[in-house]
Amino acid sequence: MLQILIYGAVISSIYALLAVGFTLIFGVARILNLAHGSFYALGAYGVYTLTANLHLPLWLAAIISVLLVAALGVLIERVLVRPLRRSMLAVLLITLAVALMIEQVLLLIFGSEARNVPSLVDVTYHLFGVDISGQRLLALGGGIVVLIGLWAFLQFTRLGTAILAVSQDAEAAQYMGIPSDRMYSIVMGVSAGMAAVAGVLVAPFQTVIPSMGLLPLVKAFAIVVVGGLGSIAGSIVGALLLGYSETIIAFKISIEWSQIVSVAAVLITLILRPAGFFGKRAAF
Amino acid sequence: MILKADWIAALLAVAVLAAIPLVFRSSYIIGIMTVALCYGMWAASWDFMSGLTGRENFGHSLFIGAGAYTAGFLNVNFGFNPWWSLLAAPFVAVLFSLLMGFPTLRLRGPYFALAMLSASAVMQNLTIIFSTYTGGQDGLNGLFPILDSTLAYYYLTLGILVASAALLKFIANSSWGLILRAIRGDEATCQAAGINVTFYKIASLMISAAIAGLGGALYAHYQLQVGPDLFTVVLSINIIIMVYVGGMGSIYGPIGGALFLNVLTETLRGLSEFRLWVYTVVLVFILFFLPQGAIAPLWRRIRVAFR
Repeated sequence: MLQILIYGAVISSIYALLAVGFTLIFGVARILNLAHGSFYALGAYGVYTLTANLHLPLWLAAIISVLLVAALGVLIERVLVRPLRRSMLAVLLITLAVALMIEQVLLLIFGSEARNVPSLVDVTYHLFGVDISGQRLLALGGGIVVLIGLWAFLQFTRLGTAILAVSQDAEAAQYMGIPSDRMYSIVMGVSAGMAAVAGVLVAPFQTVIPSMGLLPLVKAFAIVVVGGLGSIAGSIVGALLLGYSETIIAFKISIEWSQIVSVAAVLITLILRPAGFFGKRAAF
Repeated sequence: MILKADWIAALLAVAVLAAIPLVFRSSYIIGIMTVALCYGMWAASWDFMSGLTGRENFGHSLFIGAGAYTAGFLNVNFGFNPWWSLLAAPFVAVLFSLLMGFPTLRLRGPYFALAMLSASAVMQNLTIIFSTYTGGQDGLNGLFPILDSTLAYYYLTLGILVASAALLKFIANSSWGLILRAIRGDEATCQAAGINVTFYKIASLMISAAIAGLGGALYAHYQLQVGPDLFTVVLSINIIIMVYVGGMGSIYGPIGGALFLNVLTETLRGLSEFRLWVYTVVLVFILFFLPQGAIAPLWRRIRVAFR
């Protein structure tokens, strides 16, 4: 029981990181970023390369990896997405192309065997009768810290307010002197960075293979739909719901049934309440 | 408007496709082309619904898998004659389209696409979960071929593709097609004009599903096995890419796109690591330089020269 509580929390934290990043870029720039999972994978691979090949200390490798992925996100938005913004389908297909390319590059460079990333915290704690690795606790804690940081950024800084303004009405924001285009790039960077943080946090205990980003993308997607496209609070609630339902079902029934939860949740949400729990944009 | 040039081009295209197995006598190439023809059916059916109405359906594989598994169940589990699959598969696919269409077609924008996508993903997971009935990841094996020679089966598939494409094009050029295109333009105005938009959307989804399911059954009886990868999102997206390359809304363009991309991926099979690269590069190229697609706009330029 306690095991479910803790493992569910860890998974929810990672899901929340991914989902909030996904919903952020959709809410602000209306981009369904299919490369979001790739940023997650790149975060993990970045840490691997920086520690294994360049022998940097883990904490430094983590920070550099996240910054590099964020920069890549900005670059992709600026070069590939911006010219195609007129058509949502085109943007979706281009992010898909980017995702495919990144996976192929990773496959070419690193091959398909799983890579080992050392843990930041190598201790296994024994909490209330449950064994839990320090790295998983770090993932939980790190996720919470980043999410709180994001919230603070959006609420209390000028840039954050500008981003919220753009998400409400891009044109009106421009009348107020906010360069919407630049905001899109910044948000893409933030979104990619958050995905990379998730990748960095899970790399020590998840299989690091080139296709590792696919399933998290699907989950993030499902959470965002259930919580409401564009709503950060919705994504966090959705992440908790999905994380815990998956953990409970995996423990009590079977792993296969737990995989269907995410997609079934999307379907049911879209049929019953398409805007999701906290969705602002009407879907009809 | 159908020009004389259109008829000539269509006949030419069919003649070329019919001649291919006679020129390249290897059953490997005939097999690739048969699969390409199935993709052509799937692409054309997607284009009929989503290309004309503008409601992009990201779960087309739902209908494909439905048709294929129908063929699998009837043939393997119940021992029906394989010809029944071709009859039953479209029906089952249409049932799925009704089941999913009613609740999802009222959704706007990306929500319809997402709903269909998750529907196909749910089916994929269900086929894996209920593996005792469906064979799980391995799927159903041992379907019987409809015809004994690959050559004859190629012509059967070609014939069915031509008939389906002709049907779809006929409907697309009629007032039905006009209404579907109007829905893409402005649905609210159509409703204000008294058109029963829901009926047309669901009907076009049903037709699209029927053709896709038929293609699924043809594919199943070629591969002689069905698996859950016929329900994947990857398949739906591959088909959308083919439609994009060919030119949305033209019905024949997507078929050309399907043939082109299938042949391309096969010729690149030698460079196995770079296969997906080229696919992706083609996609990016089209998105940036030919957003209207390659085949349909090209044909539209050429045909008027022959007035």
